[in-house]
Amino acid sequence: MKRNRLAALAITAALTLSATACGGSSSSESIDTSSGEPTGTISLWARDSQKGFMDLLANAYNKSHKAQVEVTIVPSANFVQKFGTATAGGSGPDVASIDLVYLPYFASTGVLEDITDEAAKLPYKDKLSPSHQRLSTFEDKTYALPFTAEASVLFINKDLFKQAGLDPEKPPTTYAEILDAAKKIRALGPDTYGFTMAGQCGGCNIFEFTPSVWASGGDVLSEDGKTATLDSPQVTDALTFYKEMNDAGVMPEAAKTDSGTAQPALFQAGKVGMVVLGAFFTQTLNTDKKVDYGIAPIPGKTGGSASFAGGDNIAVTAGSKNKAAAWDFVKWATDDEAQTILAKNSIVPVRTDLVESVYASADPRNALFSKALKTGKTPYSVVENQLFNDNNGPWATMINESVFGGVDIKAAQKKAQDASQQIIKTGP
Amino acid sequence: MAPQTSLTDTATSPGASGHTPALPSRRRRSLTKSRSALGQVVVAPALLLLTVFFFLPVALMLWMSLHKWPLLGKITFIGLGNYTAAFQDQNFLRAAGFTLLYTVIMTPLLLLVGVALALLIRRPGRAARVFQSIYFLPVVVGFAAAGYLWLFMAQPNLGPLLDLLSRAGLASHSDNWFGTVVGALAIVCGMVVWKVAGMQMLLLNSGLQSIPVELEEAARIDGASRSQVFRYIILPLLRPTLALVLVFSVAGSLLAFDQFFIMTSGGPANQTITAVYHIYRVSFLGFQLGYGAALSALLMIVLAIVSAFQMLILRNSDHS
Repeated sequence: MKRNRLAALAITAALTLSATACGGSSSSESIDTSSGEPTGTISLWARDSQKGFMDLLANAYNKSHKAQVEVTIVPSANFVQKFGTATAGGSGPDVASIDLVYLPYFASTGVLEDITDEAAKLPYKDKLSPSHQRLSTFEDKTYALPFTAEASVLFINKDLFKQAGLDPEKPPTTYAEILDAAKKIRALGPDTYGFTMAGQCGGCNIFEFTPSVWASGGDVLSEDGKTATLDSPQVTDALTFYKEMNDAGVMPEAAKTDSGTAQPALFQAGKVGMVVLGAFFTQTLNTDKKVDYGIAPIPGKTGGSASFAGGDNIAVTAGSKNKAAAWDFVKWATDDEAQTILAKNSIVPVRTDLVESVYASADPRNALFSKALKTGKTPYSVVENQLFNDNNGPWATMINESVFGGVDIKAAQKKAQDASQQIIKTGP
Repeated sequence: MAPQTSLTDTATSPGASGHTPALPSRRRRSLTKSRSALGQVVVAPALLLLTVFFFLPVALMLWMSLHKWPLLGKITFIGLGNYTAAFQDQNFLRAAGFTLLYTVIMTPLLLLVGVALALLIRRPGRAARVFQSIYFLPVVVGFAAAGYLWLFMAQPNLGPLLDLLSRAGLASHSDNWFGTVVGALAIVCGMVVWKVAGMQMLLLNSGLQSIPVELEEAARIDGASRSQVFRYIILPLLRPTLALVLVFSVAGSLLAFDQFFIMTSGGPANQTITAVYHIYRVSFLGFQLGYGAALSALLMIVLAIVSAFQMLILRNSDHS
């Protein structure tokens, strides 16, 4: 027995050492662009929601380059864990397309290659989405390039607007107007609702709810991500507004426990007058052709508007064995050819100098998304996942309890603020 | 290391005791020796698997639990820091409390339904076998699949379950049962009973079959009523099986995760987060693998104590 235990300990120690050694795997070799066109095969990880256009991009790149890229699709829900575990174990990809909110975390842990110098040489560096660039920067160094964009807007069902005697060409521009329109639409029938939200989805609400706070002049996090501002008065106002909508009965019962699936389905079925979603949803609605929809900016309390700048950044990993080819692909992915392919597949490009010509021209409604690209906001934090995307985290809990739980909003805010500050203090 | 000892024991016991005393003692000893060597060889693969897939991971987990061990980045030794933090972690304590509540509700419920089903199918004939198969069918459905199935069935505005009930005038089809703790817990419990009771039934059925019919007949002849036969004959003889079933269902309930992760996402308002759910959040949303390991170690200890306690009852009830 004793020998067994010793052996076990020895193996454990060996495992631990190797894990530790790989943990900080930042190989000393940097990107070498001097020796002509890069060759070899590189691996790229992307999420399942990107499958359609990732394959098209890879094919286009492989046709015109010596280096070849192989795409691996990872389920969206597990991407962060899988990428983290693989990179920690030294089996990560050369290139990764990462949801921009996670960029500060990965950059801070040293698993991404510092591409500050290479990125500075890009002729269109200043034309890339500002919010994406901010999220790619950690301690003044650049760790990724903007890749795909996404923005949140207010979708309205034009038919329901008309039936309720509202002008679909004049969408609501304040909290009060949204509430008023929602009540009128709710009055149309027992199965018609004015508005809906994903009440139990942290990630949905950072995308859909925060713009209301921003448009009213507030924020949920300080610029440097070190201080949570969940107890600010603008957050109180937005929570109160959502609670008023729920109390007025304009939201369906499903909203309280919706983790993000019922919300688009209800709008698509024509049962909801207004919903906040992103550019990705236009694809669904355009293919479906069931709902005549319009899109509008997300308003603040008494006016103004804001949008969440989402999407992906693309990075070379620090553990990559072929950084020259990896960087070549990353650079190409932000170039005109790749960004045009994206736009043709209804993905908002990240180049502010291209977005009008290759994307916005396709559908007049797209203009709003291209505008959002320039002014959209994104919270910056190395603990974004714990703060906002966790469906049971402080953010999701605060919203759910305030809007549906009948608790005191200020108390819920205080609780969330303290919990968030604790998470920020503890760090990743 | 208990499993190993017991395995070795059973493997060597025939050689040690079951053989002819006529053999000279030296030969007998060498035979015993070679038998015991053979036993060790036979046991080796199982031991190897157990080592690779159980002892090593557990050792690694205990080692990790002594560190601040982020998914990526620097690992630092902090001794028992994670454990002291666990006892001050309100979220973990709340999750542990909810897990206990769930176990307390689930265990008798499953046992009652299991015993009832086992008694129902305890008769000869084809009809009983058909029903036995029907009751057992949900067991072969995966836990996650069953969770999604019930989630869909009970969805407000979409699910057929609510549609049926609203047609029967019992509920409105826009009701959201997941909106209250009681409702959400009831649906999850319903799903788990539907999914697991068949297995309990099968185990209890085999226990029932091992009870000699003569005993029951004798009791009947002595004038015992049906309930008296059940109370004084069947139940005591079924105790070993009952204990086994209890160990299974208690362990399963204490480790509950998928059903809540899928069906309630921990809601409403984080009121249905189980211990394993919390460990998942700590490890894979918070990336604090060391702290997650410490919580897992605590859960393992609780589980070991509960199971050991139940085993004790099992041993005391077995008179042989």
